Amino acid sequence: MTANTTDTGRRGGADRGRTGLLLLTSVILAGCEGQQSALAPSGEDARVLGNLFWVMLGGAVILWLLVNGLFFYVTRINRAALSRRFANGLIVGGGVIFPTIVLGGLLTYGLSIMPDQRAPGDGLTLRVTGEQWWWRVEYWPEGAETPIVAANEIRLPAGERSEIRLDSARVIHSFWIPSLGGKMDMFPGRETRMSLKPEVAGRWRGQCAEFCGASHALMAFEVVAMPPDDFNAWLQAQAAPATSPTTDAARRGARIFAREGCGACHAVRGTGARGAVGPDLTHVGSRLSLGAGTLTTTLADFERWIAHTGAIKPEVEMPGYGHLGAAELADLAQYLKGLE
Amino acid sequence: MSDEHRPDPDEERREFREERESLWRITLAPATWVAHFVASYGVVAVTCAKAPDLLGAARLGLGLFTLVALAIILWLGWRAWRQWDVRNTGDYTNALGEAEDRHQFLGHAAVLLALISAIGVVYGTLPVVMLETCR
Ligand code: HEC
Ligand SMILES: [Cu+2]
Repeated sequence: MTANTTDTGRRGGADRGRTGLLLLTSVILAGCEGQQSALAPSGEDARVLGNLFWVMLGGAVILWLLVNGLFFYVTRINRAALSRRFANGLIVGGGVIFPTIVLGGLLTYGLSIMPDQRAPGDGLTLRVTGEQWWWRVEYWPEGAETPIVAANEIRLPAGERSEIRLDSARVIHSFWIPSLGGKMDMFPGRETRMSLKPEVAGRWRGQCAEFCGASHALMAFEVVAMPPDDFNAWLQAQAAPATSPTTDAARRGARIFAREGCGACHAVRGTGARGAVGPDLTHVGSRLSLGAGTLTTTLADFERWIAHTGAIKPEVEMPGYGHLGAAELADLAQYLKGLE
Repeated sequence: MSDEHRPDPDEERREFREERESLWRITLAPATWVAHFVASYGVVAVTCAKAPDLLGAARLGLGLFTLVALAIILWLGWRAWRQWDVRNTGDYTNALGEAEDRHQFLGHAAVLLALISAIGVVYGTLPVVMLETCR
């Protein structure tokens, strides 16, 4: 299609094609940045993996050009029969020696980055257990005898390497924060481990990466790296029991929470609620998401979650409380939002 | 081959036996590769599970086994190279279905299998050399 085409129909087609291509490129490129992208690394391990990707991609492109260039040469440019010597040389050189060296080099490079991917942590240990479909999280600072329990959110000190021990309750899950590092499967009854070192403070998103049932796609989590001092202050606050409700609405909400038996599944430390079936709610009001990365933590979303649980998250292991009146839902939301 | 000579009644049987042996021989290089591969995986897995302190010794042992495996493959490859006899005959493909062709073709195949087995053994050794811990 040349530029001086007078046929407007054809030119329109070309323009549309170009716009489409532009759109496609920007969509693809947009997928490369943001909170959950292995191509926008913010952690030491993710950076190494990102480089691995680009090296492999570069190698693949060069090989593709060589193979297709050769193909083009023998089918279009020089169609005469090749000499026996040349053909043999091509087969032995291009088919045996060259790939052996290239694959050997790539294998050596890949192996050389493997040990550091599993470097030991240098202080804090997290224990993360995959549940259906949420994340049980325990923080074990160095020397701790009991953990600080949280859920559905991973916070890490920036610039430090934290040890992460992974387990699962019932089925296989996979723990993945693309911006910070590689993924690691979680198996029931078998502990696996990884470590992560965010290079800067920031906020990212993690996602379960192994199909685990109806709400697998809704099993995500927020990830926050904080300057170490802020992190320690945050962790101390997480260790504290829940604050008592301060408003009338929140106090009513606390009574509804007890009356409806939420405490059979949820713990709110410092109250009678000690359940361990669902996420610990002691500080749920200060979390960044509800339902493992599914909703935000606005009052409206608390109400939606409690009333329409199963509609929001298929097969979720929490009953919906749609029978509660609007006023009661609002009180419950006030109570939970106040648990900071 | 145009020589008129009385066929020795045993000759055919002997030739057949020899071919059967070289048919076996072409599997030996890949079999060596398999043994090396299984040993590398097995020894490292068992050592790391049961006695991580002995990993150094295990790696040394596997290194020695690698040399032995490569020596065996080299020897098999050299024998197969002579059987192929391409330098003298200039015949790469052995396209004719005669006994002579079959004989040389089996050599040819064995050379290629020895080559790929040697590459496999070297690649299989790289993790043992480069990954220094059980991590
Ligand atoms: C049968 C056990 C059970 C009962 C009873 C129960 N929940 Fe849940 N709840 C869960 C489970 C399991 C989850 C995690 C669901 C998921 O994300 O997959 C959950 C999640 C939540 C969350 C989101 C927490 C987070 O970190 O994302 C809130 C808030 C919550 N429940 C509130 C309540 C309230 C309020 C009640 C009582 C009205 C209640 N739950 C009763 C099991 C229960
Ligand atoms: Cu999953």
